[in-house]
Amino acid sequence: MKGLKIGVALVAACMLTAGVAQARDYISVVGSSTVYPFATTVAERFGKTSSFKTPKIESTGSGGGLKLFCSGVGLQHPDITNASRRIKKSEYDRCQANGVKDIIEVKVGYDGIVMANSKKSPLLKLSRRDIYLALAKEVPNPKGGEELVENPYQIWSEVNPSLPNTKIKVLGPPPTSGTRDAFAELAVEGGCKTFPWLKAMKKQNKKHYKAVCRAVREDGVYVEAGENDNLIVQKLGADPIAVGVFGYSFLDQNADKVQGSMIEGVAPTFENISDGSYPVSRPLYFYVKKAHVDAVPAIKGYLAEFSSDQAWGEEGYLADKGMIPMPVEERASFADDIKILKPLEM
Amino acid sequence: MSRLRTIDVVQGGLKKRYRFERLFRRLGLAAIILSLAFLSLLFISISMKGYTAFVQTFISITVHLDETKIDITNPGKAYYGSMVKEALRNALPEVQGRRDKRSLYGLISTGAEYQLRDMVMANPELIGTIQTVWVPADDDVDMLLKGHIDRHSPESERRISDKVIGWIDDLENQGVICKKFNTTFFSSGDSREPELAGIRGAAMGSLYTLLVTLAIAFPLGVGAAVYLEEFAPTNRWTDIIEVNINNLAAVPSIIFGLLGLAMFINFFGLPRSAPLVGGLVLSLMTLPTIIIAGRAALKAVPPSIREAALGIGASKVQMVMHHVLPLAMPGMLTGTIIGMAQALGETAPLLMIGMVAFIVDIPTALTDPAAVLPVQIYLWADSPERAFVEKTSAAIMVLLTFLICMNGAAVYLRRRFERRW
Amino acid sequence: MNLTIPSSQTVDLSTAIAPRDSRETVGQPFVDKARMECRDVDVSYGDTQAIYGVSLDIGSNEVMAMIGPSGCGKSTFLRCLNRMNDTIDSCRVSGSIELDGQDIYDKMVDVVPLRAQVGMVFQKPNPFPKSIYENIAYGPRIHGLASHKGDIDEIVETSLRKAGLWAEVKDRLDKPGTGLSGGQQQRLCIARTIAVSPEVILMDEPCSALDPIATARIEELIDELREHYTIAIVTHSMQQASRVSQRTAYFHLGYLIEVGATEQVFTTPQHRLTEEYITGRFG
Ligand SMILES: Nc1ncnc2c1ncn2[C@@H]1O[C@H](COP(=O)(O)OP(=O)(O)OP(=O)(O)O)[C@@H](O)[C@H]1O
Ligand SMILES: [Mg+2]
Repeated sequence: MKGLKIGVALVAACMLTAGVAQARDYISVVGSSTVYPFATTVAERFGKTSSFKTPKIESTGSGGGLKLFCSGVGLQHPDITNASRRIKKSEYDRCQANGVKDIIEVKVGYDGIVMANSKKSPLLKLSRRDIYLALAKEVPNPKGGEELVENPYQIWSEVNPSLPNTKIKVLGPPPTSGTRDAFAELAVEGGCKTFPWLKAMKKQNKKHYKAVCRAVREDGVYVEAGENDNLIVQKLGADPIAVGVFGYSFLDQNADKVQGSMIEGVAPTFENISDGSYPVSRPLYFYVKKAHVDAVPAIKGYLAEFSSDQAWGEEGYLADKGMIPMPVEERASFADDIKILKPLEM
Repeated sequence: MSRLRTIDVVQGGLKKRYRFERLFRRLGLAAIILSLAFLSLLFISISMKGYTAFVQTFISITVHLDETKIDITNPGKAYYGSMVKEALRNALPEVQGRRDKRSLYGLISTGAEYQLRDMVMANPELIGTIQTVWVPADDDVDMLLKGHIDRHSPESERRISDKVIGWIDDLENQGVICKKFNTTFFSSGDSREPELAGIRGAAMGSLYTLLVTLAIAFPLGVGAAVYLEEFAPTNRWTDIIEVNINNLAAVPSIIFGLLGLAMFINFFGLPRSAPLVGGLVLSLMTLPTIIIAGRAALKAVPPSIREAALGIGASKVQMVMHHVLPLAMPGMLTGTIIGMAQALGETAPLLMIGMVAFIVDIPTALTDPAAVLPVQIYLWADSPERAFVEKTSAAIMVLLTFLICMNGAAVYLRRRFERRW
Repeated sequence: MNLTIPSSQTVDLSTAIAPRDSRETVGQPFVDKARMECRDVDVSYGDTQAIYGVSLDIGSNEVMAMIGPSGCGKSTFLRCLNRMNDTIDSCRVSGSIELDGQDIYDKMVDVVPLRAQVGMVFQKPNPFPKSIYENIAYGPRIHGLASHKGDIDEIVETSLRKAGLWAEVKDRLDKPGTGLSGGQQQRLCIARTIAVSPEVILMDEPCSALDPIATARIEELIDELREHYTIAIVTHSMQQASRVSQRTAYFHLGYLIEVGATEQVFTTPQHRLTEEYITGRFG
C-alpha cells in the first residue's frame, strides 16, 4: 500500500545517498569528554582562521571513541579520537586487525583531578592513603593484620584523626567516565600501594591487585553523581559535608564556590599540576589515523593549530580553558612527531 | 414500616451524592492547579536563569585598520588581533607590563578579530581608516557585569582580579561598555566561547531532523495504522504484529540508536552525525506512537459512517480515504505531534549515530553534520565556563518555544481538519 | 437452487401441509417476475444463527414490507440483499440470493456495483460529516454518473426534491448535513441513496425517527419510487406496512413465517404467529 511505496522509496534514497559518505570536507573527531572542551576550542579557531570547515567533534568517551576510531579506514570512520588515557594494547590490536595500521599519538597536556568541597567547610588536607581508606570497597582490617575487610569507615576522622569529624560523602562520576577511571587509578590505587603487603600482591597476582586497589565502595558513601561535573559543583554548594571529584577546569571556573582539597600537602593549582607536584593528574591524548591525512586535507592544518604555542603553550588559549600544558621539551618532541607523522609502536 | 416514596429516598441520598460530586470536582481542579503550578515553577526558574542570556555585554573599541598590516589583495589573511590589542592599549594607556597586558587583551572576546576581518572583507574601503566598533566582551566580563560573578568576594575566588575590575569600571565610565540584545545567540552555531555561542545550528539541526522524521513517520505510520485497522485480516499474524508494535513503543530509545547505527550508517553507509540519519532513527522511534494513536483514532470513527459510504457503493479504499481518514485525522495528528515532541527532546539514540557533537557550522543540508537542541543543552550544561549556565537555560527556553510552536501548529491543523467535519 | 414453483401451487401446498405452528413459510413467498430471489438463506453471527432457511422473492416495482418482533432478523436479512453483512467479520451467509438471475454471493460479483444497484437506507440516520451538497453528490461522483458541476447540481436538486427536503435546505446546501434535525437527516440519507439511482432500495425502519408529517412524506415518496424501483422496507408500524407495501413478510425468531399480499396478511393471516403479532397479542 502507501506505506510500502514509501518504504521502497526510502530504501532507494538510502542507496543513493550512500555515495555521500565517501566525500567529506571536514575532519571527524570522536572521543573523550574530558578532552572535548580543549579539542573543540582548537577546532573552532581552526575553522575560523583556515579555509577549511570546522571539524566535527563528538563527545563519546575515551573508550567509545577508540572503538569507533579503530573500526576501520575509510571516510565513514573518524579521523581522530581524543582520549583521557593512553590507548590500551587491546585497542591498538583491534585497530591493527581492522586495517588501521599507522596511528599518530599526540599528548596534548594534563588534566588534574581534584577533590573539592564547599567553601563554607574547612579545607581538607588528604593523602592518597586517606582517599583509599575512605573510598575503596575493601580495606585492610583496622584492627591490624594482612586481611581485607568490607570498608567500615563512615567518618573522615576514623580514617585519619587529623581529618574533621564529619561523615564521608563523596560525589563523583560513574564508572563509564574516564575521570572515574583516572581517579581510581591515581588516587585510590595510589593510596592502596602505600600498604607494602598490598603492593607486593601486584607482582603475584596483578589482576587481583587491580580489582582490590581500584574498586570503589558501593555502599552509598561514594555517590555516582552523573557525568555532568557542573552538577557536582552545584550539589557541593548545597551540601557542606559533601566532597566532589571532578576535573580541574571546573575548579578553575568555580573557585568562588568550592575549594580543592590538598593532596599530599599540594594544592590543585595550575602551577602544581603543570610541574607534576600535584599527584592526581593525568595526561590527555589524541590519536590520528595516518591513512586519512591525505584524504582529508584539513587534518594537517588542525594538527598544526593544536601543536602551536598559542594553543597548547603555557600562555595558550587551552591553558585559559583549564588544560595544564606540558613542559617545553615534551611539547617540542610531540610537535616533531606530528610533523613527520611518526606512527605509534606498541 | 410504611413504604417510602421514591422521591423521599432520592431526596435523602441527594446530599451525599452532591457532596461526592463537589469533592470530585474540587479534586480535579486541585490536580489542574497543582500541575499548572509545577509548570509555571519550571518556566519561571528557567526564565530567571536564562533571560540574561538574551543580552550580551559589548565593548566599543576604536581600531585603526592599519593599511601596513592588511594586504589589500588578501585582507582575509591579516592578523586583526594585533589591531584589537592596540585599540585596547589606547583605551587604557595606564596598563603596563606583559602580564597585565595579557589580562587586558582578555577583556575582549576572541571573536572580535574575526568580526573585524569579516567587516574589512565585506568592505575593503575601510582599510586605512579608523573605525569605532562594538565587539563582544569576554564571557568573564559579561558574567561580572550581569552579577553572576560577585565583585565583593575575595579576589582569589574570582576569575577576574581587582585590577581587571578596575579597568572594566574605567571603561564603563568612558561609556564604552554596554549591554545589547544578543543577536549572536540566534544567528550562530555552537562555540567554545560562551559569548559567541548560538543556538541557530542546533535549531536548524532539530528542524531538519524533525522534517525527516515527519516525512517518514507520518505517512508510514498513517499507512500502517490504516492497513492494520481497515484492511488486514484478523488472524494470529496481525495479533503478533499488534503486540510487537505496542512493545516497540516501550523500547528504550537508545536501542533505536543502536539499530540506526547498525543499519543506516554501517549497512547503508549514510554519513554520521547527519540529520538524515537522525530523522530516520527518530522516525523508527515515533512510528509506534503514531500507529497506535492512528489506530485508536480510526477505531473511534463511528461504524455508521463506514456503512453509509459502503451502502452507496463506495469501495473500501474510497470509504477509508474519503470518510474515515478525514475523521480520524485530528486524532492522528495529535498522536503525531506527541511522537514528534518526543523526538524533539530525544538525545540518547542520537548519541549512537554521532549527533552529540560540537558543530560550529550551521547545517544547510540533510547530510551536513548537525546537532539538535537537546544535545546542545546537554553539551552546554556540561561545559565548565560559568557563562554557559545562562546559555543552557536560554536554550531550554528556545526548545520549549519550539515545542509550543509545534503544539500550536497541531492545534491549528486540527481545527482546520475539524472545520471540514 | 432452481425452485421455480408457480406461486398458485405453492399456496395450496403450504396451507395443506403446514400445521398452524410449523416454521415452514406459509403464503406466497415466490412471484413470477422476481427481481430478487432468495433461496434457503441461512445467516449466522459466529455460533448463533440469526436467519433460518429463508426463501423469498421480491418482485419488480413492488414494495415488500418486512415485519416482525424486535430481534427476529429483519435487519439481518435485509443487509444480506446488498451484502452489507460482508462488513461484519463474524457474519456467515449461505443459500443463494439472486439479483436478476445473477447470484450476488458469487465470487465473481463485485460488491461496489452491486451496492450501486441495491442501495440502502439505515435504521439510524447516518449522514456524512460533510455539507448537505457533498452528502448527495458523493455517490454520483464516485460512480462517475455525472462529471459536470451542472449535472451534479441537478442530481442534488432532484434527489432532495424527491426526498421532500429541497425546500428546507436549498439555502444551506453548504452547511453540514449533521446539523440537520433527525428527520431531516433521514430524508437526506434517502436522497443520498436515490441520488445514485439504484434499482432496488433497502430501507431499514426509515421512519423510526420521524414525525407523522415527515413519515407521510416518505411514504408518499416510497409510493412514487415504486414506479421505477423495487423496494424492501423493514418497519415496526403495521399501518405503514399496509399503507406502502404490496406484499408483506412476517419474520419470527429468524424464520420467515408468512408471506403474502399485504391486505391478505393483515386481514386473514394463515399462521397463528402472524395472527398473534398483528392483532397485538404478541411482539
Ligand atoms: N453484528 C451482530 N453480531 C452478532 N449478533 C448480531 C449482530 N447483529 C444482529 N445480531 C443478532 O441477530 C439477531 C437478529 O438481529 P436483527 O438486527 O436482524 O434484528 P431486527 O429484526 O432488525 O430487530 P429490530 O427490529 O430490533 O431492529 C438478533 O438476535 C441479534 O442479537
Ligand atoms: Mg433492525
